[in-house]
Amino acid sequence: MIDDIVSPARAAWEDLQERLFFLPPFPDAVDSLALFSLLLVIGLLVGEWLRARWGWPKVIGYVLAGTVFGPSVLGWISIEALAQTRPIADAALGLLMLEIGRQLDLRWLGQNRELLRAALAEISLSFTAIFLFAWGVVGLIPAWAAAAAAVTMASAPAVVLLIVEESSAQGQVTERIVIHTALSAAASFVVFAVVVGVVHAEYSNDWLNAVLHPFWVVVGALIIAWAMALLALLVASRLPKRSLAQVFILVATALLAVGTARMLAVPVFLTLFVMGAILSFSDQERTLSYTNLPEGHWLLAIILFVVVGASLPWQDFTWLIGLQAVGLLLVRAVAKVAAVAWAGDGLGVAGRRVLVGIGIQPLSATAVFMAYEIAGLYPEIGRSSLSLPLFAAAIMELAGPALCRFALVRAGESAPADNSREGVA
Amino acid sequence: MSQPIADFKQSQPLNLGVELELQLVSGRDFDLTRGATDLLASMDYDGRFGEIKLEITESMIEISTLPQTLVDGIAADLVGLRQALVNQCARNHIAVCGGGTHPFHRWAERRICPGDRFDEIYHRYGYLAKQFTVFGQHIHVGCSSGDDAIWLTQALGPYVPVFIALSASSPFVDGEDTFFQSARLNAVSAFPLSGQCPELRDWEDFMEHFSFLQACGIARSIKDLYWDIRPKPEFGTVEIRVCDTPLTVERAAALAALAQALVRHLLRTRPVLDTPRHLHVARYNKFQACRYGYEAQLSDPIGRRQVPLRQVASELLAALAEDARALGCSGWLELLDASLASDLSDAKWLRRRQAIRRNLNDVVRETAMRFGKSGSMNLAEDPG
Repeated sequence: MIDDIVSPARAAWEDLQERLFFLPPFPDAVDSLALFSLLLVIGLLVGEWLRARWGWPKVIGYVLAGTVFGPSVLGWISIEALAQTRPIADAALGLLMLEIGRQLDLRWLGQNRELLRAALAEISLSFTAIFLFAWGVVGLIPAWAAAAAAVTMASAPAVVLLIVEESSAQGQVTERIVIHTALSAAASFVVFAVVVGVVHAEYSNDWLNAVLHPFWVVVGALIIAWAMALLALLVASRLPKRSLAQVFILVATALLAVGTARMLAVPVFLTLFVMGAILSFSDQERTLSYTNLPEGHWLLAIILFVVVGASLPWQDFTWLIGLQAVGLLLVRAVAKVAAVAWAGDGLGVAGRRVLVGIGIQPLSATAVFMAYEIAGLYPEIGRSSLSLPLFAAAIMELAGPALCRFALVRAGESAPADNSREGVA
Repeated sequence: MSQPIADFKQSQPLNLGVELELQLVSGRDFDLTRGATDLLASMDYDGRFGEIKLEITESMIEISTLPQTLVDGIAADLVGLRQALVNQCARNHIAVCGGGTHPFHRWAERRICPGDRFDEIYHRYGYLAKQFTVFGQHIHVGCSSGDDAIWLTQALGPYVPVFIALSASSPFVDGEDTFFQSARLNAVSAFPLSGQCPELRDWEDFMEHFSFLQACGIARSIKDLYWDIRPKPEFGTVEIRVCDTPLTVERAAALAALAQALVRHLLRTRPVLDTPRHLHVARYNKFQACRYGYEAQLSDPIGRRQVPLRQVASELLAALAEDARALGCSGWLELLDASLASDLSDAKWLRRRQAIRRNLNDVVRETAMRFGKSGSMNLAEDPG
């Protein structure tokens, strides 16, 4: 059918070419950038439709569009085109990680020991439960079970931030969802760095790499983050607070950190998260504390989630892996809800603590990218061993945002639905 | 449904009680934040200094002292309540502060607290309920009878501008300098039964007037009367409602001292009232005090002239010296006198911080620090 349409067009084009010498040959394939842009438009429309029609988070629409048009299903967007968009996705994820880092106020933990206890319980119980499930039930070897636990123990900062923003949520449940997400992301990065060392030791028997790689990752991220935070504060302190120029400096230094991290093979999301946390902690004069990232960066988030959706390996799906992934998610959910509900969290009403536990269920972009990162180091083994967390992430790409939104709505902390005031993200 | 007015409960004359509406602000950007309900639900407080309760929107909280004979008791209660609240807020990543308005919040983002009464107010007054996210100090002074309460409601009327000027702490609204010292009262004046109480002879006359309002469908309960000064039969008090919430509990205690001494003075001297004439100039004088604070020019309807508010306030504080001594609150009035003499009001403090910081987020942060600091007796002190 497509040939019926294309053939006459090709013939007409070739006729024209005889007279118009500047015309290029008839394109055999649609330019990948054009295709990808089209995909973004579709993602946006699907997201908006889901939001308007069913009240679902828009991010689900973005992921769905990426999944359907990506290599796993229709294949309209190729793996090569996907690779070309990775820098933009890194920048988007980086900016969202910067934002969650900026919202991590460690002083709060000092003033609320119950919250600290709940965070530690949530982090340790999530890792332990997922590790035991992956090792004892699924049968992964300890190193890969630990890797699976490291990448899936954290909540998804990007998803949580988007849902909070989209819902205009405000309140104590929201605050706790954000801080638990930030803390579990931080813990996940540290555990992941250690696990990478363990995997090196297991497979390459190269102790130098086993010790130095985690060191490189953590110290590298710290140095880049510290330098960029310092630069941002230095320049921003010479500008009026909350001015556009300050926003520009924040975004520019963040993108500089993304580029530097990519050049040095240091994880972008870890670097930006640490940069945000350093900014939050060291900004005594509140130079950048009140500066919000521009709304435009939420547009980058659409690209991020379309890319994530397209990166999900649905072509490798089997019912067994699907069941195992569901099992992992159930174990993870129970661990998170139980830890927060048990440890108190400083919230007086138990039902609201359970809502915090539900709100921190999303698992997404960072886990997917981390899984690909470790799988890339040992492609022959890693990909199959990490299909479990990848499929868990794939399922939660769709269920996570809905769970987070459910928690915010049930807590009464989301703004009443008013689609007329909605932005694009 | 209309509610009958409760019998006037006889209380110990000159007993004091203070209510302060306070702002809950986010520890991140110092904008107003919702959290009042969760804050109270998780609070472990035994009520020893008075009550901490919800107000109409989730970004407000109200503290009220126990009835006290002496202002020192009020100050001690306010310090205790403040500390309990500051500690609880810190545990929830919230800060608490004084001030009559939040300088830059967007009223449309406010959420009404759960509860039938708040819900009913929201449905009756619409957006005014959210715009009512302003913060005031209410001072209750005990009266021996309903007749005294009604008499005081009118006798205190001419002094309303003094209370407004001495408490003014709301110069900013919607991120803008309003040029007012107290912009809060503009939000209150939108309510249909705000303003001054009409001329009334006694408690019986008040009951008749209220029955008339009920019969006309204007008021359902006494809570619908948003008068500047009104009787509070359940407490057996007269309630002064025009003050902005000051930036410190010390100034709040000093204002309570002024109210107590003034009520004693009025009851002791029983001046002849000319309420109709005062009602003619009341709105003008109130505007002057809100707009200009200490610099206001008040209209004197008896002398048919204008008098600087600063002069009226100074003369009043001097006239109350004997009553203040008798009530043991001279020190508190001296604080107000010093504030007047040095021309330092809370509104001016806020403007000065804004001039230095050029950022209202920082101003609110420093306001919260100022509120949380204990033991400051200097009403014009800067944060460290």
